[in-house]
Amino acid sequence: MRKLLVFLAAFLATAVYAQPYTGVHKFDGKYRNEVSAYGMFGGNIVSGTFGGLELSYKRYLGNRWSAAAAGQVQMGKQQYSGYVMGGYRLPVSWMDFYLDGKLMYNRYHRWNTDETVANLSLTWETPYVFLKVGESYIHYHVLDFDCTEPLTLTFGVGTSIRPRWNSWNIGLFFRNYDEFYYENWNINWGFNFYANLRPQMQLFGEFNVRPAGSMSQLASRYETSLKLGLKYNW
Amino acid sequence: MKRFFILSAVVALVLTSCDKVSPTGVLVSGTGVEDRVKMSRLYFLDHKGDYKVLVAAKQNEYTFLVGADSHLTTDDTRMREMLQMGLDNNDLLVAHLGDIADTKAEYYITLEDLIDEYRVKYGKKYYQEFFMGDENSSVQVEDPKYYVYKDTLTGEIFTASTIPYPFYPVVGNHDITHNGWALWSNIFHSSFYNVYVFADYVDDRIIYDRFIFLDTANGTLGEEQVKMIEEGVLEDRQNAEMGVVVRNTFVFSHTNIFRPSSFQFSSTFVREEAYFLLNQFVKWNASIVFCGHVHKWDDQVVGGVTYLTLDSMCEENNPEPGDYLVRVHVKKDGTVTWEKVHMNTRKK
Repeated sequence: MRKLLVFLAAFLATAVYAQPYTGVHKFDGKYRNEVSAYGMFGGNIVSGTFGGLELSYKRYLGNRWSAAAAGQVQMGKQQYSGYVMGGYRLPVSWMDFYLDGKLMYNRYHRWNTDETVANLSLTWETPYVFLKVGESYIHYHVLDFDCTEPLTLTFGVGTSIRPRWNSWNIGLFFRNYDEFYYENWNINWGFNFYANLRPQMQLFGEFNVRPAGSMSQLASRYETSLKLGLKYNW
Repeated sequence: MKRFFILSAVVALVLTSCDKVSPTGVLVSGTGVEDRVKMSRLYFLDHKGDYKVLVAAKQNEYTFLVGADSHLTTDDTRMREMLQMGLDNNDLLVAHLGDIADTKAEYYITLEDLIDEYRVKYGKKYYQEFFMGDENSSVQVEDPKYYVYKDTLTGEIFTASTIPYPFYPVVGNHDITHNGWALWSNIFHSSFYNVYVFADYVDDRIIYDRFIFLDTANGTLGEEQVKMIEEGVLEDRQNAEMGVVVRNTFVFSHTNIFRPSSFQFSSTFVREEAYFLLNQFVKWNASIVFCGHVHKWDDQVVGGVTYLTLDSMCEENNPEPGDYLVRVHVKKDGTVTWEKVHMNTRKK
């Protein structure tokens, strides 16, 4: 049994490292640049129907370090966002650990609010499962009021039906953040998928349910959205 | 297989054994805010006349009392103390910020009995009481059914069950778990309504103070309530067109907006909805927004609007006496001040 486990661990470690990029984090060291774009469509309680576009660029600085920047425009909500992010990857056996730092700005124009967020997260990633924990510093300015929220726990967990290096995958996630927001105890959950169109190009998408009052209250419909995009690396 | 059965048993135990929370509610709700608001609106429109306009025009100031999260069980000590304080201090109304009782039928019976008791006490204090039964029958003399109460100002006659006792609650998340809405609405009927206080009469214009009670038990207003707020249903725009002047607006919500600490594991509004509300309350020119839910005191001022988040007045959560209530003073000239009110009782 122990031999089998050692063999499997060795196989997974080799396979993970050798396979092309497929997941949110996975990197094979064969390319340096990654650009992705997606369209978003959805509806929520306070803004009604909304739609938006996102564009991001990631640069790998060797096999361990990376830097990224992204921007988003959402009509309906009138949310305009941008962030910069830096990360360090630590491979341990068949797992990877990621330490990511992110600085984000959101303008909620419709509600006269400017929001600044700093997030530091640690992610544990295996071929089928990931777990993220972190802390968010959130400051917002609305009307004449400045508020720095108490530090907010960031958490997320996800799983996929195929290993992370497979040419296609479908996953399930459960978390209190999305690319452009960090919530307190409001969970969002949903399904995501990707499919490699070419070795360098990937189609990906996500169906996201963002209920209100999901932890200490009875969850109620707040927002549902769909993302569909392409990722290209070179 | 054995592990699967053990895991299933643990999950089943978690999902069925907890009285305080509804674990399945993490993903979906049993009682929807949309249905509650639709029911509440219909009830409110049909019974708008029952929501008595409170009169404060002849006074130099009027006061009202606010409490939160009483989580009443079989012990009604703190709730009784609050209602008695309201009566003793001649508060124009008493408001409650939700989670009034923990969701069990017997707790709601205790609550209803208490409200009925204070409804009669209120009638005896403010209205003229007439006994309509046989004075020689001690049973009838003791029975509230044989009394009627006359409002000497308007001439209206009320029975013990129809006295318009000015106790106004909002619904909280504990009030709707385990189908608690059926129990809550049986007593209070509407979770989304407003009340007016006739504050003054100046230059042929009636000046009102407005009290808006929101249904935020699910941590969101829901689509229907947002629509009604934006359409001005709660603002009673037609009143403004008729020349009615709204002076002060007070808003009551169970769910809080500001998180008092990192270790408060209670969900508040979704971020965007909080920003929407902060703007909406400025549009309403609200004086004070009262919140509960988080069991922790907090006060903030945003865009000229004061936000008071009240600690829980519940005997279990705060067994020691403390400043759990808030009393608001509204002067004749419209000036608003508030003070914390000390509760003296302990858990039975």
